[in-house]
Amino acid sequence: MANQDISFAQINDDVVRSLVVTGRKYYITLAISILVTFTCFVGPWFYQLRYGIGAAGMNHPTVWGTYLASFIFWIGLSHSGTLLSAVLHLTNSEWRKAMYRSAEAMTLFSVMVAAMMVMVHVGRPWFVHWAVPYPNQMEMWPNFRSPLMFDVMAITTYMTGSIIFIYMGTIPDFAAVRDRTTGWRHHMYVLLSLGWRGTDTEWNRLHWAYTFLAVLIVPLAVSVHSIVSWDFALSVVPALHQTIFAPYFVVGAIYSGTAGIVTVMFVLRKYMKFEHLITKLHFDNLGKLLLVMSLLWTYINMVELFTGWYSESSEEYEALNFRLFGFYGPLYWEMILFCALAPLLLISKRFRTSFVPMLILSIVINIGMYTERFLIVATSLPRQYLPDAWGMYVPSLVEIAIMVGSFGMFTTLFLVFVKIFPSISLYEVKETLPEPQPKPQADSGAP
Amino acid sequence: MSFIDTLRSRWQEYRRPGYYENFDYAWTMTIDLDSCTGCGACVTACQAENNIPLVGEEELARGREMHWIRIERYWEGEFPNAKLNFIPMLCQHCDAAPCETVCPVSATYHNQDGLNAQVYNRCVGTRSCAVYCPYEVRYFNYYNHEWPSPLDQQLNPDVTVREKGVMEKCTFCIQRIRQAKDAAKDDGRRRVLDGEVQPACVQTCASQAMVFGNRNDSQSEVFKSMNDPRAYHVLEEVNTAPSVVYLKKVEVNG
Amino acid sequence: MSGIDRRDFLKLAGAGGAGAGAGFMMRESTKHPVEHLVPYTSSPEEFSPGIATWYNTVCSMCSSGCGISVRTREGRAKKIEGNPSHPVSQGRLCAHGQAGLQVLYNPDRLTGPMARTADNEDLLPITWDEGISQLATRLGSLQASGQGDSVCFLSEGVDGHLAALYERFMAQLGSSRLVHYDFTHPRTLYSAIEKLFGDSQLPYYDIGNADYVVSFGADYLSTWISPVNHSFGFGSSRKGVNGVRGRFVQIEPRMSVSGASADDWFAANPGTEGMVALAIANHIVNEGGYQGDDRDAWVSALAPYSPASMSQATGLSSSVIIGIAESFLGSQHSLAIGGGSAGNNTNGVDTLVAVNALNYLVGNLGNEGGLILNPEPVVGSGSGTLRATYTDMIELAEAARDGRIQVLILSGTNPVFNLPDAAEFREAIAQIPLVVSLSSFIDETSSLASLVLPSHTYLESWGDSFPEPGVGFSIGSVSQPVVSPLFNTRATGDIIINLAQEIGLSAAFPWSDMEEYLKEGWQQIYARGNTGDGTEGFESFWNDVVRAGVWGETTRGPSPEGLLEGVIESIDVAPPEFSGSSANYPFVFHPYISDTLEDGGAANLPWMQELPDPLTSIVYGSWVELNPLTANELNLEEGDIVEVESPHGRVTAPVFIYPAIMPNVIGMPIGQGHTDYGRYASGRGSNPIQILSPQLETETGDLAWAATRVAINPTGRRVEIVKTGGVSRELGREIIQKVGADGADADGADHAAELSSIPVKVVRS
Ligand SMILES: Nc1nc2c(c(=O)[nH]1)N[C@H]1C(S)=C(S)[C@@H](COP(=O)(O)OP(=O)(O)OC[C@H]3O[C@@H](n4cnc5c(=O)[nH]c(N)nc54)[C@H](O)[C@@H]3O)O[C@H]1N2
Ligand code: SF4
Ligand code: SF4
Ligand code: SF4
Ligand code: SF4
Ligand code: SF4
Repeated sequence: MANQDISFAQINDDVVRSLVVTGRKYYITLAISILVTFTCFVGPWFYQLRYGIGAAGMNHPTVWGTYLASFIFWIGLSHSGTLLSAVLHLTNSEWRKAMYRSAEAMTLFSVMVAAMMVMVHVGRPWFVHWAVPYPNQMEMWPNFRSPLMFDVMAITTYMTGSIIFIYMGTIPDFAAVRDRTTGWRHHMYVLLSLGWRGTDTEWNRLHWAYTFLAVLIVPLAVSVHSIVSWDFALSVVPALHQTIFAPYFVVGAIYSGTAGIVTVMFVLRKYMKFEHLITKLHFDNLGKLLLVMSLLWTYINMVELFTGWYSESSEEYEALNFRLFGFYGPLYWEMILFCALAPLLLISKRFRTSFVPMLILSIVINIGMYTERFLIVATSLPRQYLPDAWGMYVPSLVEIAIMVGSFGMFTTLFLVFVKIFPSISLYEVKETLPEPQPKPQADSGAP
Repeated sequence: MSFIDTLRSRWQEYRRPGYYENFDYAWTMTIDLDSCTGCGACVTACQAENNIPLVGEEELARGREMHWIRIERYWEGEFPNAKLNFIPMLCQHCDAAPCETVCPVSATYHNQDGLNAQVYNRCVGTRSCAVYCPYEVRYFNYYNHEWPSPLDQQLNPDVTVREKGVMEKCTFCIQRIRQAKDAAKDDGRRRVLDGEVQPACVQTCASQAMVFGNRNDSQSEVFKSMNDPRAYHVLEEVNTAPSVVYLKKVEVNG
Repeated sequence: MSGIDRRDFLKLAGAGGAGAGAGFMMRESTKHPVEHLVPYTSSPEEFSPGIATWYNTVCSMCSSGCGISVRTREGRAKKIEGNPSHPVSQGRLCAHGQAGLQVLYNPDRLTGPMARTADNEDLLPITWDEGISQLATRLGSLQASGQGDSVCFLSEGVDGHLAALYERFMAQLGSSRLVHYDFTHPRTLYSAIEKLFGDSQLPYYDIGNADYVVSFGADYLSTWISPVNHSFGFGSSRKGVNGVRGRFVQIEPRMSVSGASADDWFAANPGTEGMVALAIANHIVNEGGYQGDDRDAWVSALAPYSPASMSQATGLSSSVIIGIAESFLGSQHSLAIGGGSAGNNTNGVDTLVAVNALNYLVGNLGNEGGLILNPEPVVGSGSGTLRATYTDMIELAEAARDGRIQVLILSGTNPVFNLPDAAEFREAIAQIPLVVSLSSFIDETSSLASLVLPSHTYLESWGDSFPEPGVGFSIGSVSQPVVSPLFNTRATGDIIINLAQEIGLSAAFPWSDMEEYLKEGWQQIYARGNTGDGTEGFESFWNDVVRAGVWGETTRGPSPEGLLEGVIESIDVAPPEFSGSSANYPFVFHPYISDTLEDGGAANLPWMQELPDPLTSIVYGSWVELNPLTANELNLEEGDIVEVESPHGRVTAPVFIYPAIMPNVIGMPIGQGHTDYGRYASGRGSNPIQILSPQLETETGDLAWAATRVAINPTGRRVEIVKTGGVSRELGREIIQKVGADGADADGADHAAELSSIPVKVVRS
């Protein structure tokens, strides 16, 4: 399926090169992203820890703000990694194989960044462990009725599952890299590959376990974003108290996650020189998926508007009115343009197979999706039941910085990842190639 | 009975309306909107009693009011027929409180007296309870507040001073309830007498718009007051079963 | 500890150290100042740690004299409540009463005596002995040289024995210049009552037993005379007087707190309230509602005031006037009260005479739910006419300018803030060689003092109070210190006694301190015989009074036989005279006493600054109220800064669009605009008193503060008004539900039209 001209050896070479040979560009990017992480995330966060959440723009009644929007955004972005990878694995989609590793990495890092957003969001992060059920001297358990508690459970499970999934899938590749590296890297990969030798039994077990995990991860991923949606939907806040929220969030998550994958694919392809591995085919397929998700997303948005309007209740009506035409109205229409209208371009195959336009669209979609999350928080809470308590929320500089910084953190994590993990699955890409003729210099570490 | 059945029956028991009637107390407040003049004495009384911080102009401009009881004002009509109506808004101590279910650490919970209690020490500051409360009566400490000396000497030693990152709200002056209970115990009485507990806001209200007491005691003032035909709950439709009962304003026409 | 060797331990300790370092970063990086534990090895008597002690005393935050109970713990005052046995407060308090603790614990309080050696120099600490002797020397030499009259004592309105002490002191000095000045003093009401009934005290209005109350401009629930007592009455009346729910009518150009709580609110043209009252009287008399002997006199006196002929001038339709008249007549206990802007126009006294005459016409004098005259004052002669008018203050200023005042002693009052710029009071005071302040704070007036002898707050000192109007019978309270003094201050009474003795007036001031003086004074009250058990002598009487916080006699004042001779014939309300032409100054200016800051005296209390204004929810600021139509016409929105220009000056403040003010009236709260007075007050908002024209009430010569016309000049600048309320329309949500008087649900109207996007404050950080 992939480029017919490349050989197994070349794949190994390409990937190992990507791990071992590091150009100046990489270091510059890494330096920038670390700098961004520290100046925009760590610094402002420390300031906020000292001063209090007051450093953010939240107030009464808008007690939730961009931190939570970012949290949903990152959790959403995490979706298309492991979830997509698992679904495609189960449906035996060949085209998955060149991209799933980095997709799964995205999942992992987005979940980590999302967890950090929780730490940034809460008033006393030094006590967040109280939300974890562990036997303690206080004889206090967390509140299992709380959707936030469900969140803690769902997200930790998802994160654990995703870590195992990505790690297990990479063992053979670690082994392959182990056999081609020297020095400290070799030692590291010796440890990471857990003594993988590539025997039939090993392959058999790996495949079985991998499939098992894939089956487990699909419902888990769906549950994660459903549960995140319940943080909102289980409230009685007008415009949040909606049954559509779970599918709405799941669809939104897969949507933004898929767009995120397109972005990452582009970058890997371009800067890690994987042009022959990540091809138009991948973009075409991802484009189709994006189109489907965008239509679903648009549909759900229309349903949301309709139910609000149909309710004829002053509360729902005003909340929608405020979202569409209030202070943040322009952002709403920006979101519609970015997430509902622009993706219609994907109908064209030419568009789907053009790399740069796909990159731009994928970024545009995620800007729109961030906006969606922001609007959910920033346009519902200021307009609840008692008009006298209405207020307005505008993010503060600290909040905006931390939002930017979270991207820096994600990028940093990803950059470190690409130097440790083979960011393309060696063995699965090889599976898609024709059987090589045995040659004396064939690899030993991988089939 | 299997374990599940036991669990279910206990849960149902707990969820049954009137569950709190089985206890000695179900503290309740009525507020007569026909008598409230919107004067705000209750607001300051509560601030004084409960160590509610001074927020400052800048923070108020940011919408970070802290008063546990606030007076909401709603206009009707236009000049010359404009009318202004007031409603004191405080924690309604809902028997089906949405704020309680959402707190991940049970920092806010229902106690046996029907109070929606807030354990400051336990709060991690997710602010979810404030989102879930339809009455918007929960206030968050966005930073550590200060009382320039010697203003700090006024602080009530019976009430905690809350630190940054913690949620707070009306407690029905739980410290006064405790004191009254202790006094009753010292006197060898099982229950606090009607009128023995007066929250700060009720005590100061010059137009006697508020009545506080135990609705499990059918002889109490509050019981009579809440059975007035004018009684209603604000946001009845959200079904939170509040312990604050409002008495409708009387409108004379012509 | 098996398995951890020394090196591991050091590593762990290192990690712990790093963690501690991070913890240090996150908390305060500065070292806390050293604080000392207070050992209770010798604890003050009267308190046991952990147990609250309550002291009854008197609220001095306004002149109503509510009895209070102060809760103290470990020697510190923690909370003020109303004293349930006190008939004025009946266990309740207003917000100011609650905030009294912030007078005591105010961080801007003066902590000890200070003096300035030369003009423009800072005040530097001195000792009390230095301060007292410095002042005593000066006073003594003036007294000795017969120049006693060049000493002026300018005090806030005080009553009881402290007032008597001041009088004695000034008399001994040979000075007639004892001036009590209060901006809020209802001078015109005293005059009106004197004119009608010959009584020089305020009457008690029994709102609690009235079932139909018409208030002409008096914000009786918030700022007028005795708000806590009135609110108590209001609540009682609303709950039913003999089963009838009290109905309240308010007539005023701008809706006040009392107007908002009224059942009917009517806007009559400013200054025409008296005409409305006379038109009501006209209807009552002419429609046979009044059958007194003097009916004919009334008919002829009221002839020009038919409802129809008054409707043009007052702006109220004759049907409204007649409606009020019939309800007034038809109710069992109707009551008319007047004050506020209605009493502070050029025709203030006439207006209040007209208003109070209504009470006579329905025969409620001396009756339940009516106007009740007070008995003779227990101490002194009643404070009403002792208070300085604007004219008195202008005379004082002139005397100061002419060099006729050598020493000015200030206590508690702040005329530089509370008099219009036109009075040029600050300039006048600057001419006085020695200005001494006994105030607890540096306010605008005290800042001119070169000698500061700060007094205790009311919670630290002895005093007494005989509240006016009280409750229709004689009551008095002893005010006792509830905490030991926080700072190096002294009670005003003690300062006076001390001074007198230094000057050599010991014969007239034989007491060691205020407490002793008070006790001597109360001997006379004890001698009246109403001593409760009383048999155990004065000491036990005194202790009982101090403990109970109140003493009283339940004998009512005289029930007026009728009106004074010639009153009916002279009844007449002239149209108000405004300063400024309506061409240049199209609006009538309506400054009003702030519901939260009073006349500015409460502006230094952070609780009061943070208490949302009841009607607008604004905190920490000034604003200018415009009717929506006016705002529309001038193209102004909430937050647009405008300049309010009168013939005598300008102030600027942001616009607030107020739905219940007349389109030709501009409202502005008094209270902000301090340039001194501590961190919470100074540099905030603006003071509308500054621009008032020196327009006088024609009979009393007091300032007609509601008689200035103004123009509104937009500045083009904007601010975000700081307020706590969001949107103040219900949008059909039935938050405040209503029933008709018949019990049926009122109002099922469709509010969908109100749902259009409503502007709401934008919060930026
Ligand atoms: N029945 C019984 N008796 C016992 C014991 C027992 O177990 N049972 N235990 C014994 C033991 S071990 C001990 S140590 C003693 C303790 O006995 P005490 O020393 O009497 O201890 P407490 O009652 O804890 O507190 C003393 C007082 O200090 C006050 N206080 C708190 N903070 C301050 C401060 O900053 N300054 C000042 N001046 N006062 C402050 C508190 O309000 C309290 O009233 O009791 C002994 N007695
Ligand atoms: S003190 Fe009473 S009258 Fe005043 S606002 Fe509060 S409830 Fe209303
Ligand atoms: S009013 Fe709000 S805070 Fe109070 S119990 Fe109900 S939901 Fe909770
Ligand atoms: S803010 Fe505190 S009380 Fe509220 S939900 Fe979070 S942890 Fe619970
Ligand atoms: S009951 Fe107590 S805590 Fe609640 S509003 Fe009243 S004074 Fe405040
Ligand atoms: S009315 Fe006056 S005396 Fe009474 S509590 Fe209020 S401020 Fe104090």
